[in-house]
Amino acid sequence: MRQDAMLKATAIKENGYMSGSYKSTYPSFPRQIIIIVGGFGSGKTEVSVNLAKFLAVSQKMPVTIVDLDLVNPYFRSREAVDELEKLGVRAIAPRGEQFHADLPILLPEVKGAIENINGYLILDVGGDSQGSKALGSLTVADKTNDFDMLLVVNSRRPATENVETAIATMKRIEYTAGLQFTGLISNSHLIDETDFEIIKEGYDLVKKLSKETDLPIKFISAKENILQNSGINKFKCPILPLTRSMLKPWERGIN
Amino acid sequence: MAKKLMKGNEALGEAAIAAGALNYFAYPITPQSEVAEYLCWRLPQVGGNFVQAESEVAVGNMLFGAAATGKRVFTTSSSPGISLMQEAISYMAGAHLPVVLINIMRGGPGLGGILPAQSDYFQAVKGGGHGDYRLVVLAPASVQEAVDLMIEAFDIAERYLTPVMIIGDGMIGQMMESVEFPKKYRQQNDPSKSDWALTGADGRSARITKSLFLDGKKLEDNCLKLEAKYVEIRKNEVKYELYKVSNKNKVLITAYGTMARICQTAIDELEEEKISVGLMRPISLYPFPEKEMFKEANKPNILAILDIEMSTGQMVEDVERVTKSIKPIEFFGHTGGIVPTPEEVKDKVYEILKKFKKDKKKS
Repeated sequence: MRQDAMLKATAIKENGYMSGSYKSTYPSFPRQIIIIVGGFGSGKTEVSVNLAKFLAVSQKMPVTIVDLDLVNPYFRSREAVDELEKLGVRAIAPRGEQFHADLPILLPEVKGAIENINGYLILDVGGDSQGSKALGSLTVADKTNDFDMLLVVNSRRPATENVETAIATMKRIEYTAGLQFTGLISNSHLIDETDFEIIKEGYDLVKKLSKETDLPIKFISAKENILQNSGINKFKCPILPLTRSMLKPWERGIN
Repeated sequence: MAKKLMKGNEALGEAAIAAGALNYFAYPITPQSEVAEYLCWRLPQVGGNFVQAESEVAVGNMLFGAAATGKRVFTTSSSPGISLMQEAISYMAGAHLPVVLINIMRGGPGLGGILPAQSDYFQAVKGGGHGDYRLVVLAPASVQEAVDLMIEAFDIAERYLTPVMIIGDGMIGQMMESVEFPKKYRQQNDPSKSDWALTGADGRSARITKSLFLDGKKLEDNCLKLEAKYVEIRKNEVKYELYKVSNKNKVLITAYGTMARICQTAIDELEEEKISVGLMRPISLYPFPEKEMFKEANKPNILAILDIEMSTGQMVEDVERVTKSIKPIEFFGHTGGIVPTPEEVKDKVYEILKKFKKDKKKS
């Protein structure tokens, strides 16, 4: 309840979201290291950024987010750095001229952040199994078992369009990263054309995937206004409301 | 088929397959490497071929050889890579070969940067290679339009036996949008009945595909044959889109590619402030919508034309040419991967209106 109240107060003011009257559960994170993995288009960066914002406004611990996306040259969490810093989130991402480099830059601070963990640490791992190589080079597992590794599933993307391809994707990533998934995130979307049907379709897919892999559904992430206008109570899992932070140059910041 | 979410680069790859083009030669370069990444697993599924060449120079020569067989062939690259292909592009134009080339433009000159740009307009439209030739140049503004134009590009290339280039700013390759593909994919074409392709001279006389004509008369004949095609292309292949164009417009904006979408946002917001602005977006940069743009520019209420580009001003020279500068032309642009914002477009419109108000007072 405390979480709800705090999130509401801050978020309504900051983002204008969570003004609905529905009741939903927010995800909870007993483990401090949260690794968010997904191919491009899964929405993992939006999920990571929104999760960082959520934790920053609802938890007392400091929050650090790391851009480990070595694959995508545009639209990475680096773009959202300013917004995150305003909320007190520490963002580790290449700066200056390296901000837009198409080189695999792994900052030394990343290792430090893992070894000297302080509060929540969100790792935004980009670009499918190739991107997760970066993760393999970090010794997350050796240092601690205290991590969640979550797959972002978008039923409208080839890498996770059905149970078979999603499992194949997971195996590839686990192999390169040397880490095992601990949960699933349902984030089906078509960006601004997302409707409730797509969210529901993604949820149904993740339910099947959860059964098949024995991994829990950590949460559904979706835009708040779509959930408000539809049967949100149909979902039996926590919900992380999203506001889009990575906009195209012609888009305006409206949900 | 349900709508999918795809990155522009992946969608371009899938669109080629939908067009029955299964022969791809390329060398990776940001921001279009995902085309190769996508096609290296996708083409084998449909019996296609992908050769990763040792350089873009090699890509150009592979395209020449493969296109001569009459099969549908294509490449994708970004600005510096396209520069390396210019020799082969000129050769293919001279040899009347159908081929589709994609340039997902990044900032230049030189190695420049990897952010979006539109600074290869001159190279594509005015000819980066040598000799009297033209490319058909198409510029999509969305991932869906990129897919549709990609499929059509192969038809245009075959209809006129000419290279066709699609130029997209880096955004077209990198952004994610929902997209739909045709229900029915085209089969790979069968060149055995063609009257020009090199299919083996069994039972017929040999054919030669070349751009070398040492006899001046023969070379001129080839140039005139090319020019005759370009006349037809200029007549038949002009494409453009008008947005909120009306007799009330005070300013006509000209922009292409994703830049036009930024202008649309500005136009929508200006409309709310009761300032009427229209947009003309050339889709075919060659052939350029010449008469059509002149007609729009000539409308009595238009005070000025405002051309917006991610460059220091390239298409604006064609805007000046075809409107015969009948109205004052203002330009605004950014380079280096900095994308003009809707605010900057609006500010430029305010500035124009202010200038005309002052002029009116003076007179």
